[in-house]
Amino acid sequence: MADNVEAIQKSIKWYFIIGGLLIILSGATVGLSYVELPTHSLNILVGMILATIKASMVALIFMHLSHERSLIYKMLAFTAALAIVLFTLFILAHEDPLVFPGFYAPVEQQ
Amino acid sequence: MDIPYTVHARPDTGLYNAKIGIWLFLASEVMLFGGLFSAYIFLRVGADYPWPVHDLDVKLGFINTVVLIASSVTVLMALAMLKLRKFGWYKINMALTVLCAGVFMFNKTLEYKAKFAHYAVRLTDGTMLTGHMPKDKDGNTIHYQVKFDGVTELTLSVPLKHTAVTADPVGYVLPFIEGTAPKFKTESGQEITLDEASFETLSAEAVKKAKAENKGTASIKLVATAPIKLAAKPSEIFAYTDTTITFRDGTTATGKLTDDKMTFEVDGVDARGVAQSEKSLAFDHRYLGEAWQKAFVENRDHHIAKFETDYPTRDKSRSATLQKESLFFKLNSAEPPAAGAPHGDAHGAEAHAPAEGHGEAHAHHPTVVLEKKDFTFFSNFTPKLNTYYAIYFTLTGLHGLHVVAGAGVLLYFLVFDGKRMRQDPEHLANRVEVGGLFWHFVDLVWIFLFPLLYLL
Amino acid sequence: MSAAATTHDHAHDHSHDDHAHGHHEQSFIWKYLFSSDHKTIGIQYGITGLLFLLFGFFLMLLMRWSIAYPGVPVPALELIRQLPVINGVFDSMFGRWMNADGSLNGELYNMLGAMHGTIMVFFGIVPLGFAAFGNFVMPLQIGTIDMAFPRLNMASYWLFFISCVLMMTSFFVGTGPVQTGWTMYSPLASTMNIGVTSVWDHGHTWWLSAMVFNISASLLGSVNFIATLINLRTKGMTWMKMPFFCWAMFVIGFLLLLAFPPLEVASILQLSDRLFGSSFYLPTGLMEGGKHLDISGGGSPLLYQHLFWFLAHPEVYVLILPAFAILTEVIPCNARRPLWGYKSMVYSVLTLGFLSFLVWAHHMYLTGMGTMMSTYFQITTVLISVPSVVLLTCLMVSLWGGSIRFNTQMLFASAFLPMFGIGGLTGLPLAFSFIDLAMHDTYYVIGHFHYVVAPGTIFALFAGIYHWFPKVTGRFMNDKLGKLHFWPSLIGMNLVFGPMLIQGMAGFHRRWYDGGKYFENTSSMSHWTTTLTHKIGAFFGLNIPDNMLSLNIVMSVGAFILALGQVPFIFNFWYSIKGGKKATSDNPWDATTLDWATPTPPPHGNFLFDPVAHRGPYEYSLPGHNTDFYPQWESEPGKPDLKALAEKAQAHH
Repeated sequence: MADNVEAIQKSIKWYFIIGGLLIILSGATVGLSYVELPTHSLNILVGMILATIKASMVALIFMHLSHERSLIYKMLAFTAALAIVLFTLFILAHEDPLVFPGFYAPVEQQ
Repeated sequence: MDIPYTVHARPDTGLYNAKIGIWLFLASEVMLFGGLFSAYIFLRVGADYPWPVHDLDVKLGFINTVVLIASSVTVLMALAMLKLRKFGWYKINMALTVLCAGVFMFNKTLEYKAKFAHYAVRLTDGTMLTGHMPKDKDGNTIHYQVKFDGVTELTLSVPLKHTAVTADPVGYVLPFIEGTAPKFKTESGQEITLDEASFETLSAEAVKKAKAENKGTASIKLVATAPIKLAAKPSEIFAYTDTTITFRDGTTATGKLTDDKMTFEVDGVDARGVAQSEKSLAFDHRYLGEAWQKAFVENRDHHIAKFETDYPTRDKSRSATLQKESLFFKLNSAEPPAAGAPHGDAHGAEAHAPAEGHGEAHAHHPTVVLEKKDFTFFSNFTPKLNTYYAIYFTLTGLHGLHVVAGAGVLLYFLVFDGKRMRQDPEHLANRVEVGGLFWHFVDLVWIFLFPLLYLL
Repeated sequence: MSAAATTHDHAHDHSHDDHAHGHHEQSFIWKYLFSSDHKTIGIQYGITGLLFLLFGFFLMLLMRWSIAYPGVPVPALELIRQLPVINGVFDSMFGRWMNADGSLNGELYNMLGAMHGTIMVFFGIVPLGFAAFGNFVMPLQIGTIDMAFPRLNMASYWLFFISCVLMMTSFFVGTGPVQTGWTMYSPLASTMNIGVTSVWDHGHTWWLSAMVFNISASLLGSVNFIATLINLRTKGMTWMKMPFFCWAMFVIGFLLLLAFPPLEVASILQLSDRLFGSSFYLPTGLMEGGKHLDISGGGSPLLYQHLFWFLAHPEVYVLILPAFAILTEVIPCNARRPLWGYKSMVYSVLTLGFLSFLVWAHHMYLTGMGTMMSTYFQITTVLISVPSVVLLTCLMVSLWGGSIRFNTQMLFASAFLPMFGIGGLTGLPLAFSFIDLAMHDTYYVIGHFHYVVAPGTIFALFAGIYHWFPKVTGRFMNDKLGKLHFWPSLIGMNLVFGPMLIQGMAGFHRRWYDGGKYFENTSSMSHWTTTLTHKIGAFFGLNIPDNMLSLNIVMSVGAFILALGQVPFIFNFWYSIKGGKKATSDNPWDATTLDWATPTPPPHGNFLFDPVAHRGPYEYSLPGHNTDFYPQWESEPGKPDLKALAEKAQAHH
């Protein structure tokens, strides 16, 4: 965060703008969640995209990541990479089991 | 001798110590919530029941979102004011932030509280009934209990070695006796009142005897002078059959099972787990009966027809919303509605979403008496109910702990750092910045929590 | 200046001439118990870690007895039962579970096994390797006065201490400690003894609570380490002039920081399963004792395993990297050669750190993983062996052409190299799922990872203790006793863990409390090692059968030798603090890194002058230099004159 008076006053303005935007986007998320999209996965996707936009605004403006030292970026990039590894490998491990219909019990006749 | 770079940044890294520290801590937090969110994903893709969507109180959740965003702005304002050396405004903004945290936690408490009073019962055919336990005229909840009558004999067992389960009749048997406990006759014919002291002498004797006989456990037989009535929640006892009841401390009592039926005020019938929804056990003549079945079918067909006109090309079986609207039937009156009047639309039902507080609502629901053989599982809306509520409570609970911790730190700066504010505002600004970073992170987590748990 | 005041992070920029050794005496409590000085905390961690290593080893001795002589009363039991206080403690920890004749049963064996693993990993090696050595040495090596957050450092130790107390309490509660292995797999761990009257009577609750504290402690520790390394390096100490020790600590810090939270999640969810009846790890339709449990189901036991191994694989590198950290100091110093391939080691350890997060499910090949996932995990697992081999090779090549001083620490260090080599190479086959399916949970796996951590890491930790002992106390440990410690340890370790590899190939399962006695008639194959054992036994007039079971006796004898080998060490350690040979110089091993530039023992504030790193950390046998080492802190040969400076500082008081 900058230290001179004008810069601080300018950033205060931005805080309120971003805060307002965040509230508006939250409202949009609520509204969109009631819209029946072709699949529910699409609803989830839209909701998550909105949440990611909001989260980036908080991170960039509120947490001042838009102008931070490179060291912090490196640290966070490493963490983010590992968090992504955690998510994707969990999902992939779940999606690729060594089981198939009839693995535990005979396939039900339909 | 001081640690360098506590206030001013180290020239080559451009950072002061605490800032590195907090970002490292937040990195760790990212992995903590990353682990929780990946657990959420894992549970959701593996769920074998319809994942609840819009089941929580969206209004309250949205209010909390706004409150948290506002507090994020105020904590930034506090930092800015401190940098401008406007100490009064700094204090006001800090106080506002802590106040927001208080409001957030208050709302959270409301939300949690409603869930403890709300129950769900799974019937043997897969139907879930939601509703409440009935209340007596004083407004106290009548919990589901297993009732025994004519109990005369108690067998206590005291293991000689220190183990986790040992006879404790005072803690685990006496509370379940209806009325005052009668006197008991010991094997030696002595008549006693069962309390801590008498049990201690009894068990000391029995242990002595068992040791002499080289047994592993000492057992004590007590015969009641008058038959006892017992009533206990199933979770409080270990097991029961038609004639015996085993308490958690290993004590067994013999008598006669008189009642293990559950009286339940139904406010919802969730037939999503039943192949032919209209034939759900809930509509058995002993329970809700034909009139409610008719209302259910009407409501179901109404929603299906509406969906067909709104989205003619879509597959009905793949719409989770339609499944919920058509098969999760909300009962908003004590008597079934008159035929022909369509049950309220989806949003009307939403307003009576099961998780909300009910107050007087219990009078407006039909009451059924469920036989034990017809239900397999029941729970209030706590982590026990299903994995959704389990992860919901874990995620929001941990998030709540973060809110409390963050607010505590900010409150500490506000109350106890007055001296630092006057003498070394730059250092305090660093501290507030670091506390603020944590606060924003709490907000950031909520940004993901809110849609994942409340909306999607 | 009291400890609290010196670490008080207020703003005034003191000039550095008041590097005082404390203007007035600190009380005992503040100096030794609630100290925020990194050296004291390091020593606290070290002693606690050593005690837990000994305790974990004792648990293992009981287990080994049961394996070699199932159903035979534990020797010396009568003696223990006659001792006044010890009898009571022993009885409530172990005695109450034993058979009436004093032999072990499966229940007790399971407790011992689970607690041996937990204690060795979380309470022995990590505190000793990372927290103790890291805390003591790392700030000295980068030339700073203390850690970045001294009070957090103290909090870290005390959180760790609480977790130790909680973990030890689990021995005394109703069900005894957990019996479900150090991995604590659900659903067994969640549903075992589910009928207890109070959750606090259950060892599992205590285990999970202890882990929550342990994780918080290591979180504080790792934040502190990384922040210190980033921000408090002294003048001239650029990243690439940092000793490898510090690099290793940097990587371990990140491993702990980012890998532990998922374990915390796993613990919290398991605790919730037990306390609140949730079903995170309990699948639908789970039955126990012929009865459906009163749960909703819908959870997944695999979720636990994923969360657990996401931590526990990086944890393996948390166990082994302190060993490399210590050896990169001990080997160059005693071979009088620069560390070979410093840069490649640094890049290797960074790669290793990152890759260690990508391999976890190779512990889970048996859980029904599809071919795509198993291929991925096999590839990454084989990949991670590359940086490990680079590290080991660099250490070996560093010996080339050196004039090696075979003092005790160098003996341990040089034994580490082949021992770790065996441990690493026996791990390679396990990386492949088709071999692992057969080897899973056999003694082969046990042999493999014990070769890595026991004669591997623990030898390196011993080397470190002998190496830095003169810096910590101002006195040397006795070299003769040291050698008496080394040789039995080397022989004992190999006798314990070598036969495990053979037994494992024969299919011996790791959780047999009778060591396979039950299957004696069906698995009585012999092998040259068993024949040899049989013949040696016959020579001493013992009837040892010529089948795989005989190796159990070999291992137990090995464990006994190992136990005897520690006696000289324990004696040496405590005796030398007061009675060892005095170190005549601040730099008794003629080492080059900054930790040897401090007075001995280092005072509060560490340095008497402002240390500047003028060159790389391993400048040994520099051509044309008048001594065979050129310390980092000397601006030109022989400068600064530490003695003169010290005298000046003394006069200043």
